[in-house]
Amino acid sequence: MIPATHQPPLPLDRLLLQDGTPGAADRMELDVLIVGAGPAGLACAIALAQLAERGGAALNIGVLEKAAALGEHSLSGAVVHPRALRDLFPDLTDADFPFRGAVTHERVRLLTARRAIPLPTPPTMRNAGYYVASLCEIVRWLGAKAEGLGVNLFTGFPAAGLLVEGQRVRGVRTAAGGLDRDGRPLGTYMAPNDLVAPVTVLAEGTRGLLAQAYFAWQGVRAVNPQIFALGVKEIWETTHPLDAVVHTLGWPLPPSVFGGSFLYPLAPNLVALGLVVGLDYDDAALDVHAVFQGMKRHPFFRRYLEGGEMVEWGAKTIPEGGYYSVPARRSGDGVAILGDAAGFVDVPSLKGIHYAMQSGMFAARAIFAALRDGDPSAARLAEYDRLVNESFIMQDLYRTRNMRLAFTRGLARGGLAAGVMTLTGGRFPGRRIAVSPDAAIPRHPGPGAPFVPDGKLTFSKVDAVFKSGNTTRDTIPTHLVVGGDVPAEVAEFYARMCPAGVYEVAAGQLRVNAPNCIDCKATDILGPRWTAREGGSGPRYHRM
Amino acid sequence: MNIAVCIKRVPDSETRVKIASDGKSLDEAGVKFILNPYDEFAVEEALRRREHAGAGAVVIVALGPPAAQETIRTALAMGADRGVLLQVERIPPDGLEVARALAAELRDGGYDLILFGKLAIDDANHQVGPMVAELLGWPCVSTVAHLELEQGRGIAEREIEGGVEVVAFPLPAVLTTDKGLNEPRYPALKGIMAAKKKPLEVKPTTLGPGGLEILALTPPPERQEGRIVGEGPGAVVELVRLLREEAKVL
Amino acid sequence: MSDVLAVVEQRAGVLRPVSQEVVTGARRLGDALAGRVDALALAAGGVRGAEQLGVFGADRVTTLTNPGFAAYAPEGYAQAVAERARTGGYGAVLFAATALGKDLAPRVAARLGRPLAPDVTDIVVEGGAVTVVRPVYAGKALLRLRLNASPALVSLRPNVFTPAERPKAGVMETTAVDVPAGRVVVQQIKAAAVGALDVAEAPIVISGGRGLKDPANFKLLEELAAAFGGTAAVGASRAVVDAGWRPHADQVGQTGKTVSPTLYIAVGISGAIQHLAGMRTSKVIVAINKDRDAPIFKVADYGVVGDLFQIVPHLTAEIKKFRA
Repeated sequence: MIPATHQPPLPLDRLLLQDGTPGAADRMELDVLIVGAGPAGLACAIALAQLAERGGAALNIGVLEKAAALGEHSLSGAVVHPRALRDLFPDLTDADFPFRGAVTHERVRLLTARRAIPLPTPPTMRNAGYYVASLCEIVRWLGAKAEGLGVNLFTGFPAAGLLVEGQRVRGVRTAAGGLDRDGRPLGTYMAPNDLVAPVTVLAEGTRGLLAQAYFAWQGVRAVNPQIFALGVKEIWETTHPLDAVVHTLGWPLPPSVFGGSFLYPLAPNLVALGLVVGLDYDDAALDVHAVFQGMKRHPFFRRYLEGGEMVEWGAKTIPEGGYYSVPARRSGDGVAILGDAAGFVDVPSLKGIHYAMQSGMFAARAIFAALRDGDPSAARLAEYDRLVNESFIMQDLYRTRNMRLAFTRGLARGGLAAGVMTLTGGRFPGRRIAVSPDAAIPRHPGPGAPFVPDGKLTFSKVDAVFKSGNTTRDTIPTHLVVGGDVPAEVAEFYARMCPAGVYEVAAGQLRVNAPNCIDCKATDILGPRWTAREGGSGPRYHRM
Repeated sequence: MNIAVCIKRVPDSETRVKIASDGKSLDEAGVKFILNPYDEFAVEEALRRREHAGAGAVVIVALGPPAAQETIRTALAMGADRGVLLQVERIPPDGLEVARALAAELRDGGYDLILFGKLAIDDANHQVGPMVAELLGWPCVSTVAHLELEQGRGIAEREIEGGVEVVAFPLPAVLTTDKGLNEPRYPALKGIMAAKKKPLEVKPTTLGPGGLEILALTPPPERQEGRIVGEGPGAVVELVRLLREEAKVL
Repeated sequence: MSDVLAVVEQRAGVLRPVSQEVVTGARRLGDALAGRVDALALAAGGVRGAEQLGVFGADRVTTLTNPGFAAYAPEGYAQAVAERARTGGYGAVLFAATALGKDLAPRVAARLGRPLAPDVTDIVVEGGAVTVVRPVYAGKALLRLRLNASPALVSLRPNVFTPAERPKAGVMETTAVDVPAGRVVVQQIKAAAVGALDVAEAPIVISGGRGLKDPANFKLLEELAAAFGGTAAVGASRAVVDAGWRPHADQVGQTGKTVSPTLYIAVGISGAIQHLAGMRTSKVIVAINKDRDAPIFKVADYGVVGDLFQIVPHLTAEIKKFRA
């Protein structure tokens, strides 16, 4: 079974709208419109506002965010490299940033079913000088800084379509709210709004909806297709303190699957724990959520978690393709694309936040200069691409360009190759390793391990979604575009693939519980397409 | 029509309650605060009445910490005209102290209507609205789920056990709003932009100590694990007996 | 030593049952304060059932009559009760936290200038001061408060203070009072439509989950609800509401309604956390499920394991028999 054969195409007719298409209640003009209040979008907004302030110009900057409140759709590990924050706030010190603590100790373990074998920390994974943080907290902090600089933050407004005019991006149309299951307006109906600006910045994060639409529309390609991993994460209140940043490889993932776990201390009695799995796994029955739950039964984790309480759960995909999956250009007429939406993630070092922020700051420079000269054209905004290309962002990604890709051939060969690559600074093997999109990887029916949650250490998907804070209205129309005819084996694959229990198989038929969706985007990568839905839907992450 | 709406900043209803180290208050670390959901009905009703009348102002009044300014901005983004924050360090458990401060602020405001949510979802005191009315000497109807206003008089409906009370009253009046009165609007984009520029006056306020003293805030007792009465329809007779004789709920 | 005033309720000249709870609570407090318990009713004339209040601990039952007191008259009631409380020198005044009590008690408190502790689930005397427990944060925490005031004004959460009888009869008296006509006037009471019982208000809630297998099978629960004679409402889990089997208004749980009925019967519901969040404050929980390991049994007081399609009709028949 190949997922791609059952996947509907990107619904471009809904995602690309000629500016002026009827259907919007209101139209708002801004100087810069940023889609997504994550680290990339907010860093861009802050940098723009700082440039405007310094230049004595008044810029009307608006940031659209689909979550009901700042940070509620943000999820990361995370160990953060502070360089972008230092660059953005030269007057502040590391102590001023919303970090949980500096990395003091690091451990890497190779797990077997019963043992945890110490491994030397690979050079790419050394985190000395970096900080453990919650991305939710970073985003809330950045949001407050942005507001302080006069940036307009519009939370609860998802961007549903890109407004275009000729080859130019004019802005976005927001999603309607207050529709019933059949798409009929309720008393709380909120019509879509159009927001337009000389420059629209797409900082939607992983598997960005409008970023995909833009690249598809303009035929912008990368050398390799983008590939993804799915991370499932929990926050635990614990009674056993953790003093180190821990990563594990091996069990419970089969050798053919790329991935690993992380365990980070957030406070003396608070840890973040997660499992990240490449979505190119070949076992159709693999269930990342269930594997993660099972992983916690290992004595290595149990020792920290036993007697504690899981207080938050979440999931998110990660663009893992690296250097060769970054689109040839991330700018165009009236548009720039940042952060995860552009693929600025370095898997070997497990870093993306500082690249996302830095890309936003580069974009701000290019946009500010273009607006000052009244010329937000592709030629002028290409300055953003040049700044990124010449920066540490692309240098870092280039150095590790083949490492993640080598693991498409299995853990042992990948691990060996990655070691050699590190030693040679990425020069060996010199050639690019070609990869297929995740949806094109054939899946083989596996036995599928039964999973019975105990409600204390391990949790069902329904309970997990509860812990994500998901309070999506139950009666919203489905936002997922499902392919025409879904055979039972594919439905079963979706049910396992989705960590939030959106898909279920009932009497051989696919059932879609759309309100469960927590916007991790795995579905959009391997199955039914994700589109924007009523503002404020989805999870309410707090310390993710 | 000039309307005052008294609102409160409260922890989100999904908040996981953690007790602070003093054993008497909520640990607010990481808690998200929102506009009290019942107050949303009051704000919405005020906006609709102002829109219907075609004239007048909706003034948002909150008593709370400095951060309650954000909550006021939410109501301003919905469409209210201006805000007043009676700024205090801490809201005391005694609602009468809150009512006294609000009444002093509202007394000479020239309002036709003063609206409250029927209760705040945090302390569920369910009292400040009627207390303010008494202190002002105004008529008051609480927990209003349906409202008609015409020429200085109003008819309100409020849910009571097993029925609905239909209540007549003259204006000016204090009303507290219940779910069902209306469907509160979401702030529109332009409303959010406009809210930043609307006047918000902060008035440092001192409250009396009040007559209620918090001794402790504790988690509710864990539910005792119950028992399996039996299997199959055969267990039903025993179940009914237990419900009748032991649990005494039949 | 101080006396306690219990403000009781009537509707259409008949004492409301919750009054027995208020008098029971007042008696408990009166004993602790070594004081007398006075029950106070307000009505247009006599109150049928008021004479029983002695049995629950009232030393004296006073009915204040006024032609305007047939229905609830907020201002007249507040004035009359405040006057009584002031002149009677009471140490505590108790109300029921009902629709009437929640409106009246704060008015009286404001008139007396005394604090009010509303909707309490426990009341004791500690060191001579009235001390109460009340649920806050939607029942997620309990607040213990001391009332440093006399009289201490308290309203009692209904269904918590189980009426306790004592072999003693109180003195009955009726006094006409003169209060000015209020501005706020109850014009009529519309009785709720039969069967319109909301899950959030019903004293008994019977909820169904996916174990019912088909929307049509909810008629089993409706029959069981009917057997309770109009005091039960039918609720639903999120799964079946999502599936479109039941309206969203019936959903019990995190994204639905929070209920705390006297009796909650969960039928074919496994007990996801989000469902438990909506019903765990119910007084008594019964679970009927075929899976012995279902989490619902962890919060249920009484569980029956087995086929709901056999068990529920039996239960309906037994309830009918019991009520006949």
